[in-house]
Amino acid sequence: MSELSNRSKDIGEFVPMPDDDMIVCRCEEVTKGEIRKAVHEGLWTIAEIRRYLRCGMGLCQGQTCAKLVKGIVARELKCSPALLEPATSRAPMRPTEMHVFADETEETDL
Amino acid sequence: MGRISQHPILGVQNEEKKIVTFKYDGKDMQGYEGEPIAAALKANGVMVHRYTMKQHKPRGIFCAIGRCTDCVMVVDGEPNVRTCMTPLKEGMDVRTQYGVSDKPFDQQ
Amino acid sequence: MKIERFDLIIVGAGPSGLSAAIEAAKRGMKVVVFDENARPGGQLFKQIHKFFGSKEHKAKIRGFHIGEQLLQEARDAGVKVELNATVVGLYQDREVVVRMGEEVHHFKGDAVIIATGASENMVLFDGWNLPGVMGAGAAQTLMNLYGVKPGEKVLMLGSGNVGLVVSFQLLQAGCDVVALVDAAPKIGGYGVHAAKVARTGVPFYLSHTIKKVEGTDHVTGVTIAQVDNHFQFIEGTEKHFDVDTVCVAVGLSPMSQLLKMAGCEMEDNPKRGGQVPIIDDYGKTSVPGIFSAGDVSGIEEASSAMIEGRMAGVAAAEYLGFMTADEKKTELDKLSTSLESLRQGMFAPKNRGKNITETEEGIPISTNLLSKGFVADDEIERYPGVIHKAGIHPVIECTQNIPCNPCQDACNQGCISIGDNITALPISVKDSKCINCGMCVASCPGQAIFLVDEDTGDGKASITLPYEFLPLPEVGAKGKALSRKGEPVCDAEVVKVRSSKAFDNTSLLTISVPKEYAMKARFFKAE
Repeated sequence: MSELSNRSKDIGEFVPMPDDDMIVCRCEEVTKGEIRKAVHEGLWTIAEIRRYLRCGMGLCQGQTCAKLVKGIVARELKCSPALLEPATSRAPMRPTEMHVFADETEETDL
Repeated sequence: MGRISQHPILGVQNEEKKIVTFKYDGKDMQGYEGEPIAAALKANGVMVHRYTMKQHKPRGIFCAIGRCTDCVMVVDGEPNVRTCMTPLKEGMDVRTQYGVSDKPFDQQ
Repeated sequence: MKIERFDLIIVGAGPSGLSAAIEAAKRGMKVVVFDENARPGGQLFKQIHKFFGSKEHKAKIRGFHIGEQLLQEARDAGVKVELNATVVGLYQDREVVVRMGEEVHHFKGDAVIIATGASENMVLFDGWNLPGVMGAGAAQTLMNLYGVKPGEKVLMLGSGNVGLVVSFQLLQAGCDVVALVDAAPKIGGYGVHAAKVARTGVPFYLSHTIKKVEGTDHVTGVTIAQVDNHFQFIEGTEKHFDVDTVCVAVGLSPMSQLLKMAGCEMEDNPKRGGQVPIIDDYGKTSVPGIFSAGDVSGIEEASSAMIEGRMAGVAAAEYLGFMTADEKKTELDKLSTSLESLRQGMFAPKNRGKNITETEEGIPISTNLLSKGFVADDEIERYPGVIHKAGIHPVIECTQNIPCNPCQDACNQGCISIGDNITALPISVKDSKCINCGMCVASCPGQAIFLVDEDTGDGKASITLPYEFLPLPEVGAKGKALSRKGEPVCDAEVVKVRSSKAFDNTSLLTISVPKEYAMKARFFKAE
């Protein structure tokens, strides 16, 4: 991660592109332009981008867009996507209503 | 769209399944018991399952295996139900989801 | 809260998870397999084509039949499979949290095998959110599991094996595939899979991608355009198609989040398809007692996933003392040999990204096959399966080194030879006597074998070809013979139709064509 912890790296100015209004995160409706802009505002990690824009934080938890977002962020940072740490994996891995997640039953008999 | 009545490899599909009636946006519609709601809707030519919260854009079946959550609808009053994973039952009330509601945006 | 303990917990009841469970249960372990789906088998039950490989890999058996065999084997071994059971967490000390219905349950596995498979990749294009744009896997699910057509007119994006196989399956389901498109300059999947789609008349557009999907509430059309070496659109190359469905098959990514959650060391490995755990040859991760198998640890075929699953099952059994280190070694050596033979040939994981221009035999690869989906007339003669002789004989249009040899076993007359190296190109043996049994035609998973009689008298030739569509033409049906490219080349009449249990739903059509088309006509379209 050394290359990306070097905050003095010059990634240039944000340049508007014709496809900036394309939806990338289908659940939270986050666009490519919003993600690109966020990188230029200094959010260089996937975790930061997620918290800032909510992409990958919706119902599907980034199942579809995680790789796409990573690719867009990497392109802005001019680095390989492999250098970007993917989002933290934490339970629940699938959409689970709070009343279900909290309902820990006494009996488990398989 | 419609059903594949006879398939060269799989033969006659859905042959022994029971036909049930359910409601789609208030209208009667038929499908096979136990098949995913999404399959029954597709067979009836329904393409739009929901309209998104921010941009009010239409969405439909995308992954069909419960990953993408794009096919969610309001089922029996509960929003965000993945129709590609939820088995169809007699008398189900399936409605187009607008944001997280079954009411069109101008009525919310 | 109560925690139930198992010797082994497996997440995912697909090909690798079930295989792992079978091996573990056979050794007396208390095993449970959790799967979030309503039915077991993972993606196997959507695979209706015949599998590649050799006999030990269940070659020439259709995927869903392999799935049925695997389920039976699991039942016989006493494997417990919990369906509609979604694993939502994998905590420290191999505590597995499972959602079942409206409740959350906790389990403890002394060993855990993660076999969660993969999910489909996507690419961005204008209109990719519209209803009617879907993953190729979604189309497969709708038509092969639920008997519903994904659409009437479909454009396929992606020419890897998934894109090719699903295109063929769409044709089988009665859909119209208007084009197969890929941004890459070369077809990614097996040439034989491409050839069987191309000969039905589906055009291939390589170095093209989707510019825009049109429609307001759902897809009504799509515009593709050619791209240059930097994947930028070339002005003026746009082509429009009226479609109601666009399928996307642009690769798979391992669903490895549970492994990451459990603290397994991970890496981003493009050759394996993305974020994968770092494992030894048998699936052991960096966390003691946690193993992984199948696509979650690297994208491959279902056949490889089944072997990897068995390896992980054996490794877990030895880890918990259910077998000795010596027994483990014997088993794993056997499985490794089997796996290694699948990982050979030009599509082997180790060859990903390499530019291969000739076969192991030193024969140049057909450039038309790679760019258009079919071998051109002036290229086909150079392969050892394509020969000329009097009388009926097999013409084997297998032109790439892939691990597959059922044709050799199918012929009991010795007309077809591959040898011990299962990736070698099959040879049509000149001094052998074909008895026209048709077993080679029906057994070839690539549908690349034809029985040809170049001169049946009256200036005619006969060609026997594999046919997996409905309606099945009847004897006497007249129509056009299509070339490898899928273009009508001459009149043709069906002179024989064969279906048999041994052919496993591949029918054999024999058509009669003018004899100058003996080596050109490869498909039949009724009038």
